[in-house]
Amino acid sequence: MTLSAAGLNYEQAHLVKMANQIAANVPNRAEVGEQVATHIRTFWTPDMQRDIQGIEHDYPDQLVPDVHTALEILRRL
Amino acid sequence: MTVLDDQQDLGTPAVRSDAVVTVLIDGAPVQVPEGTSVMRAAALAGTQVPKLCATDSLAAFGSCRLCLVEIDGKAGTPASCTTPCSEGMSVRTQTPRLDKLRKGVMELYISDHPLDCLTCPANGDCELQDMAGVVGLRDVRYPDGANHLDAPKDESNPYFTFDESKCIACSRCVRACSEVQGTFALTIAGRGFGSKVSASDGVPFLESECVSCGACVQACPTATLQEKTVIDLGVPTRKVKTTCAYCGVGCSFVAELRGDELVRMVPDKTGGANSGHSCVKGRFAWGYAGHEDRVLEPMIRESIDDEWKVVTWDQAIGFAATKLKAIQAEYGIDAIGGITSSRCTNEEVYVVQKMVRAAFGTNNVDTCARVCHSPTGYGLKQTFGTSAGTQDFKSVEKADVIMVIGANPTDAHPVFASRMKRRLREGAELIVVDPRTIDLVRSAHIEASHHLQLLPGTNVAIVNAMGHVIATEGWIDRTFVEERCDAASFQAWEDFIRLPENSPEMLEEATGVPADQVRAAARAYATAPNAAIYYGLGVTEHSQGSTMVMAMANLAMATGNIGREGVGVNPLRGQNNVQGSCDMGSFPHEFSGYRHVSDDTVREQFEALWGAQMRPDPGMRIPNMLDAATVGEFKGIYIQGEDIAQSDPNTDHVTHALRSMDCVIVQDLFLNETAKFAHVFLPGTSFLEKDGTFTNAERRINRVRPVMPSRTGMAEWEVTCALATAMGYEMGYDTSSQIMDEIAAVTPTFSGVSFELLDKVGSVQWPCNEKAPLGTPVMHVDAFVRGKGQFITTPYVPTDERSTRKFPLLLTTGRVLSQYNVGAQTRRTNNVVWHAQDVLDMHEADAQARGVSDGDWVEVSSRAGNTRLRVRVTDDIPAGVVYTTFHHPVSGTNVITTDNSDWATNCPEYKVTAVEVRPSSKVPV
Repeated sequence: MTLSAAGLNYEQAHLVKMANQIAANVPNRAEVGEQVATHIRTFWTPDMQRDIQGIEHDYPDQLVPDVHTALEILRRL
Repeated sequence: MTVLDDQQDLGTPAVRSDAVVTVLIDGAPVQVPEGTSVMRAAALAGTQVPKLCATDSLAAFGSCRLCLVEIDGKAGTPASCTTPCSEGMSVRTQTPRLDKLRKGVMELYISDHPLDCLTCPANGDCELQDMAGVVGLRDVRYPDGANHLDAPKDESNPYFTFDESKCIACSRCVRACSEVQGTFALTIAGRGFGSKVSASDGVPFLESECVSCGACVQACPTATLQEKTVIDLGVPTRKVKTTCAYCGVGCSFVAELRGDELVRMVPDKTGGANSGHSCVKGRFAWGYAGHEDRVLEPMIRESIDDEWKVVTWDQAIGFAATKLKAIQAEYGIDAIGGITSSRCTNEEVYVVQKMVRAAFGTNNVDTCARVCHSPTGYGLKQTFGTSAGTQDFKSVEKADVIMVIGANPTDAHPVFASRMKRRLREGAELIVVDPRTIDLVRSAHIEASHHLQLLPGTNVAIVNAMGHVIATEGWIDRTFVEERCDAASFQAWEDFIRLPENSPEMLEEATGVPADQVRAAARAYATAPNAAIYYGLGVTEHSQGSTMVMAMANLAMATGNIGREGVGVNPLRGQNNVQGSCDMGSFPHEFSGYRHVSDDTVREQFEALWGAQMRPDPGMRIPNMLDAATVGEFKGIYIQGEDIAQSDPNTDHVTHALRSMDCVIVQDLFLNETAKFAHVFLPGTSFLEKDGTFTNAERRINRVRPVMPSRTGMAEWEVTCALATAMGYEMGYDTSSQIMDEIAAVTPTFSGVSFELLDKVGSVQWPCNEKAPLGTPVMHVDAFVRGKGQFITTPYVPTDERSTRKFPLLLTTGRVLSQYNVGAQTRRTNNVVWHAQDVLDMHEADAQARGVSDGDWVEVSSRAGNTRLRVRVTDDIPAGVVYTTFHHPVSGTNVITTDNSDWATNCPEYKVTAVEVRPSSKVPV
């Protein structure tokens, strides 16, 4: 199912794609969640960070497990 | 030829030698490096020996016989250009015998030369005329006989003429084409009296292999090769040194004018980046600055469906500020932002990002480097500690192996390419990693030893495979790694790279490159005394662009190829000030000097200086701004000198976003594609009107001097300051040098930079500070900027953009020599004679399979959209891959590119788009 078919708007779909892509590409494969969290904190606006948390709540299946881990880390900060 | 004080022609090139000899020139002693010509020694001693075939940009030739001298103890009258100095040599440059010989030689030259000096375009700027005067020629005893006075002119080139009747067959043009440019388009055809300069095989210049770099025109001592602007306007009367506004090489030029009218641009022989060379764009394609399409007055409109209304500057600024403030009042502070331009000066960029942060109160500022070299900044900072290339251009002269990855320097960075080609002709080995057979793979006197013709999207796989070979075959420079690099990160990288999955054999299917070719290239790179990597957008514009930059940095560190001349990792930046626009704090997460906005100390420094509170969180990148616009959360944008509606990927999405905004402000020379969606148009200034600095790909900060007054009546930074002030934040400077002083005050790598220093020394490469008051040509010499070099593991992750049954071909994009990016400048020059339209390069097998022939129109479709292009069938590209350029808006190349981007930086994946190509009977309008 495409992201738009899942009910996400363009901006949300792009955020999902970005987050999953970061998780797939961060260099240290042993600590993916931590690295994704660091990357998002370093480069994403507070609104984008809030939006991805909302997307996780509404569309959890769209995000890979490492992104869920990262968002959990961000919530604890 | 053009002579400024520091442009003096010493006749023959400088010689590098530690040994010094002393010679006597007309009795005066002069010390020169051993091997220096007598002609150059004399010039250094203040004596100009008459000459015609000699010039110090070319090896001595010894053909004109005008530079004869007498040397004690030597028989005859040797040519001073080809005679090297030896210790104690005593030279006489003026004697009755020499006078007589020179006069006789000149008499022969003039006997076959038109005596039309008064009406000749080179009158007053002709070395033949000068030499006739110097030798005291008063009459010619050979008035009749065979001559070349009726030889036809070749006026085919749009920028210069070839008037054979004025040619003295000195071969300077031929030698310039081969030695300086490295194209070998010119030769001397025929023999004896029949000798004549010939372009290619006797065809008109325009039809020849000539690349119109202007080196031949510059070298010509007569009016044989002459700029058409000089013929039309006359010899220039004043000169201003400045910097080219095209690619990231950043060539220095001497602008030559009559009053405020530009006559020609002559490459500056003291220019650190170009050493007196140029390309067709910088040398000739500056006419856009005076093009009739330029908009010189501010304009506004309520709706993008309305007609533009010309207004005063105050009205335009007031209108823009009112709209932006209204947006912020209704939608919030972060509903607006700005984009800086790599075509603008450091000073102009700096004030835009300052306006966004201080006056708009947001970090929503980004730069067009987002879509080209943002992965370079990310990758090199992670590994080396600074977001910039490691070398100066001159460094390539010491490289033994040159690896060019995803770059086409002969087209996109031609002046650097000439420098590189010279080194390759001297014997350096060449590795090309590119899907296309670019010119460097095989051209005159150059052939790549290794061409790894990989499939688009597999860069990381190839470089990992090379790393695997280096690690498993014992080529790691362990001394360098132990002394200079972080041990834990190296160990992690070595463990990773040695995995069988990274072997050339395992990755062969993905990359399409036979394993033995990868192994051979890796060995060549690893075992060279000095190996250097040069790369372009073929590296960065991928979903793994940042990973690839780090993978190359790993390779350089593992083999010890960092920290001296001849090595390094070198981005070839696309636009003239990509480096500078990044340095100036254009990224939404960084202040100038690449310091994160979350750093309290840094933020406090800016808050104290700017008198405004700074936000500690990153702002939006360009794609995030556009996304937010489509859902109504981002409503206003200030776009400085960038045409995102043409240059950014997925045009439909970009234009949808622009349409969704309430206030789009475009500052540009022309009503570009983006301006169709603008509410405010603020006319910009061309590089000829700017006062500031550009920073090129080698971190060289060069002065951009105003050649003529601003045609809009305002400097661009003044306009930005006016808007900031109208938004409620008082911002102003008296001069652009004050802006640089502020940049230096807040940016550690620029702390020693000032206009005064640049005017004094010409240029400096940052870091320029207390530790390096004259700059830093080569970085990471004794230690990396971050301390220890950081290895980073770089797993290969295939892009989502793959060929499918529906879209079986992979489209990749690039640019050609004669055009520049979206063509806003070059399309408004005579460069269109070389590239009037974008075409789709296609392999014959793919063309045949689709019933397409060379020259046919085709429809190119991707999942993002479709467009139409004319096909060029070529074997420069492998089957399964197609290629095009994006210089013409009608081509709609970015209608078909997708919103895929680099995972770390969102740099668009322009280099990989799955497409299908079908014959089309429709022609684009």
